[in-house]
Amino acid sequence: MTTVVERPVVSDVRPGSSAAAVAALALFETRRLLTRLPVIIAFLVYLGWTVWRGGTDWDGYPALQDVDRATQGAPMLVGLAVLLSVNLAALRSRRHGTEHHFSVLVLPPWRRTVAHALSVVAAALLTAVCVAAQFGREALRPGAIGHGSVAELLVGPLTVLLSGLVGLLMAGLVRSALAGPLTVVFFLFLTLFGTGTSDGWSRWLMPVVVEPTANTLPSDLLGRPAAWHALYLAGLALCAGLLAVLAAGGRKPVVMAGVAGAVAMTLVGGVAQAGGDSPALVRARERATVNPGQVQTCVPRDGSTYCVFPEWGPRVADWAGVVDRVRSLAGGSAHEQKVVVRQRIEARYGLSGDGALTPLERPHEVTVGTRWGGNRVPEFSAAVAGVLVAGNEKASTSICDGRMVTVMWLAVGWESDPVAALRRVRLDDSATGSALVLQPTNGMYMTDAQTEVLRELLDRPRGEVTARVRSHWAELTEPKVTAARAAALLGVKAPEGDDKCLD
Amino acid sequence: MACRTLPWGVVGTAGGAGLLLAALTRITGETGERLSLHLLRAAVLAFAAGLVFLLDDPARHTTATVPTPRPVRIALRVALVVPATAAWWTAALLLVPTELRPPVADITLEAGAAFALAVAGAAVAVRFTEVTRPGPRVAAGLLTSAVLVMVCWPGRWALFVPVGDERWAAAHDRWAVVLAGAVLVGALGAVEPLRRWAWPVVRGR
Repeated sequence: MTTVVERPVVSDVRPGSSAAAVAALALFETRRLLTRLPVIIAFLVYLGWTVWRGGTDWDGYPALQDVDRATQGAPMLVGLAVLLSVNLAALRSRRHGTEHHFSVLVLPPWRRTVAHALSVVAAALLTAVCVAAQFGREALRPGAIGHGSVAELLVGPLTVLLSGLVGLLMAGLVRSALAGPLTVVFFLFLTLFGTGTSDGWSRWLMPVVVEPTANTLPSDLLGRPAAWHALYLAGLALCAGLLAVLAAGGRKPVVMAGVAGAVAMTLVGGVAQAGGDSPALVRARERATVNPGQVQTCVPRDGSTYCVFPEWGPRVADWAGVVDRVRSLAGGSAHEQKVVVRQRIEARYGLSGDGALTPLERPHEVTVGTRWGGNRVPEFSAAVAGVLVAGNEKASTSICDGRMVTVMWLAVGWESDPVAALRRVRLDDSATGSALVLQPTNGMYMTDAQTEVLRELLDRPRGEVTARVRSHWAELTEPKVTAARAAALLGVKAPEGDDKCLD
Repeated sequence: MACRTLPWGVVGTAGGAGLLLAALTRITGETGERLSLHLLRAAVLAFAAGLVFLLDDPARHTTATVPTPRPVRIALRVALVVPATAAWWTAALLLVPTELRPPVADITLEAGAAFALAVAGAAVAVRFTEVTRPGPRVAAGLLTSAVLVMVCWPGRWALFVPVGDERWAAAHDRWAVVLAGAVLVGALGAVEPLRRWAWPVVRGR
């Protein structure tokens, strides 16, 4: 037999406990918001995209001042989904005709709006965790250098917060199920095609500001008003959220004061971010471009000197490894030649434009850029090899004879897969025929015949070729030597291709 | 009578928003050429987001018993909205300056496919659920799939290609397939189910 104990239903809701009720509703709405299909799909696409693309941009050698900006684009997708879902959730009771039932509860409409806003905050926090994980993954790579900016990392979560609160505001202003989808269409158009279309201060009005170039600069020369922009975004989001509370009837003095404060935040951030480059920044960029020696530190290593911007200190070991391997293949005095590796940048245009670097004219000085990994390794290797053979960078970039065979042998001969390295260092990714060889400054040109001889060398055992290169070093590095002569000296068959370089 | 039950307000608002987007091509200046196609597509998406509300019928459970079968009721609603859609589309095209206008036949095919998808989605939602107003959810689904197609559709089967791209013709063959598929799905979705089976939908969720 079942005993039913009847107890009177005791309502523990007292006027003072409405904060607890808001918290309970916020928890419920958070759970619902994060399990909506559009939000789940957006998070899955975001995570999938981030994991799949992870690290491919920097080949395992990220500069953290670039990584922080790369976290900003994808959360816009989550923002759109949150906008739509929050809008539909806020209009849910109206759509189902249950608005009147809520009027008997302790929660007035504006407190329910606060609960919805808190659910958006939860979605933004989840995005912040994703952004932190993405950044942390890159920062923990052994090859990571530089400094990330918290303000840049905040842009992703703040975009989600702003979109969600705009969706909530739209639900408060236009009580139609169409308002959310139409806002999404506008936002979609803005985020996909509005970013980067304008120049100057107005581009900073968009949530995510992309830069036209993928230049890597020292973090103090970036000149992005990231902190002001984060303040601007936070102010905008607060404005939207508090206006939604106001529209739902929460006309408390504290809300009014909050709206005033949020407008002030937005204005301060918006005006300050539009300031442009300060004269001090312009001077610092000029100095780093024209006289990098004034800001660099020089590290001696194995007799060579490495002059680098302070943030790139940990990279010296990687560069020294390449210099050592190139020298180990060389003969004559080049085998022990000390070089000066100087890091150079073109920072005068900031991130808005690239500039080519001119070759150095001082003897045995090699330029190295700010990026590393992937194609940058054989490019630097080619520059070191050119300097060892021709004496200085300017001379090496105008080599127009059979010395190119020796240069390229030194540049790629030490790699575990030299032919793949050769492809990567050539502009058209070819391994036969003539092509331009890339390096940190101007390129070098390889003729058809030189490529043929080099490919013959790469097919032979490394020890044998190294011995031949060393024993004929003086003849091989003599100006005006032809590819056919180099082939004869190195004991490979004479090339049949064209041996005329570009003028 | 069907004319009065149509959600003219929603469709009209969506149309107004779409025309606003199309009119933006007149003020964008020299970047207009690059943007006009995207603006027209955004306008189409806005109007399609309104069209998904076409089959919303709060009195659905009472009209289920009328002798007119459901395919006829749906066809009547579609027939009533087609002239309005055609007029709206003509206006949207005319708002874009002639020199910036993408190829009219091809962009009309894209618009037709989007509108057909919107109505087909609503018809399928009506067919397989018991909800009286499937609009908001179908709108969410339409927008989600539009974003997904833009973000991660494989380039081999590209749908959103810029004017002058070599894949333009092939992409519009695919748009024709999308249109045919949407019409077919919509026609199948409009048929009244013989047996009443549906996924349980709990009110308030």
